[in-house]
Amino acid sequence: MAKVELGSPVTGTVWKVERATGDSVGEGDVILILESMKMEIPLESSADGVIVELRVKPGEAVEEEQILCVLET
Amino acid sequence: MNQVSDWGASELDQLRTLDEREQWALRMGGERKLQRRREAGILNARERIEHFVDPGSYIESGLLAVSSAVLADRDSTPADAKVAGFAKVGGRPVGVVANDFTVKGASSSLTNMKKIAHVKRVATDRGFPLVFFGESSGARMPDNMGARGMGTLLGNDPQQYVRQRETPWASAILGQCYGSSAWYSCLSDFTVMRKGSTLAVASPVLASLAIGQTVDSEDLGGWELHSRTTGLVDCVVETDEEAIALVQRFLSYLPSHNQEAPPCSEPLAPEEKYADLAAVVPDNRRRVYDVHKVIRGVVDAGSLLEFKPAFGRSLVTGLARIEGRTVGIVANNPMAKSGAMDVAACEKATRFVVLCDSFNIPLVLLVDTPGFVIGIEGERMKAPGKIMNFMTALQMCTVPKLSVIMRKSYGQAYLNMGGGRNSDEVAAWPIAEISFMDPDYAVRVVTWGRDADDGALQALREQMERDSNVWGLAEIYAAQSVIRPEDTRRYLAQMLGVHAMRRSHGVGQHRMASWPTTY
Repeated sequence: MAKVELGSPVTGTVWKVERATGDSVGEGDVILILESMKMEIPLESSADGVIVELRVKPGEAVEEEQILCVLET
Repeated sequence: MNQVSDWGASELDQLRTLDEREQWALRMGGERKLQRRREAGILNARERIEHFVDPGSYIESGLLAVSSAVLADRDSTPADAKVAGFAKVGGRPVGVVANDFTVKGASSSLTNMKKIAHVKRVATDRGFPLVFFGESSGARMPDNMGARGMGTLLGNDPQQYVRQRETPWASAILGQCYGSSAWYSCLSDFTVMRKGSTLAVASPVLASLAIGQTVDSEDLGGWELHSRTTGLVDCVVETDEEAIALVQRFLSYLPSHNQEAPPCSEPLAPEEKYADLAAVVPDNRRRVYDVHKVIRGVVDAGSLLEFKPAFGRSLVTGLARIEGRTVGIVANNPMAKSGAMDVAACEKATRFVVLCDSFNIPLVLLVDTPGFVIGIEGERMKAPGKIMNFMTALQMCTVPKLSVIMRKSYGQAYLNMGGGRNSDEVAAWPIAEISFMDPDYAVRVVTWGRDADDGALQALREQMERDSNVWGLAEIYAAQSVIRPEDTRRYLAQMLGVHAMRRSHGVGQHRMASWPTTY
């Protein structure tokens, strides 16, 4: 079991959270969607695994590279 | 044993002397230094060459060379610190120069500069690539010191740092690279850096002395600086072996010289996972995606060699193959800055277009950009000039250029990404939208200073959106084809065939061969 941290690809705000802690996700699955400069930017899982931590809620402002989600693979 | 000064041994012993001299040179800077490198997991100069070349193909040039400006150093300069020769890689000839850091920090001297010059001249005249394994402390001292030292060593080769792109050059930064190994890396078409290495004008010690502050080598010229901020390196790796493998891979896409077409390899189907391009690119114009998936859905599986992935990330550049033929990919990446091209993206595009044009590699432009990044930051970094460098490079190109508008193509960026006659063929996907400005902003620009209610603005926006659809471009033949996303690979493969440069045997005009290697 390894932990994989997923960082924000942009500075922006969290628009929608699509998955929850405990969910199994596959590589490429959308975990949440950010909004920045009027665009929607999905945060995709980089590996197959289980979400063990979701650190943000809708409406929250995030910085680029800030860790938003932790997976266990 | 005083090997080098032992000149004039008995004539009968000449063969034995040759043997001894060779053995002495092959021992490089001595077992102690070589062992330290082994313990650190770093290859030495000769091992680097051995890993790089086809077995049995290497023939050395200047094995018995030693220091000549400072005679006292003859006994401590085996091969004069730079190992050079000719070999084959993947069955094709190359010239190679590997800095031997165990000998006087692989510093540049009178003799070893002659060695580099010779290998470079032969590679150029006879038409094969030149590869540098960089690791050197800079000019040798005291050889270069003083007016006599300068007059003797530097500047005697008026072609030393001229880059004409007659044959491909590749460089690996494998340790401390100051002076000539930094210069040659910057002049190369492809530069890979091993983490922990440094590429800089001068060493941290010298820099610290000059500015009176402690300078860290990673801050001065480490991989993060060069992969993210300067863009001076194309790829970053963890080990010497990976760096060497990447140089081999880079060469596999290129012709041996600029007067031949790139080599072909066995065609491979693209990665199955991304073959459904319509599913990769959302038709919701506000939703971004990673263009790497599109590229991987179009090119032969595993064939993308991306250049500068962490620099100017809103544009992806890389060599790849379509049906076994080398292509240069220039693709907007909406995942970064929504695909808006900044100064770094322009510099990256310019350098890549010049590389492809210089070595007869057709260009494929995959377009989805809202335009160029605007604002004070870019303007301070000469954004208009950078955009025009990129534009001029594309217009000077004589290799085939194919442009596919996947989604957005706006304003000047429409031209820079091959719109109009800036490519040989323009194809667009049905969801493409083309205009001078994004309707959201255009509505406000055209109604600036006037009273307009929300309903009127909405109606105007909708009209602009309708006018931006792909059919307008197809009707006036500004797009020669409208293609289904899933047909993109087939379209590109066929059009590359149509536009093959038959009359010149696949060779372009190379009008930018002497353009700079950095912008």
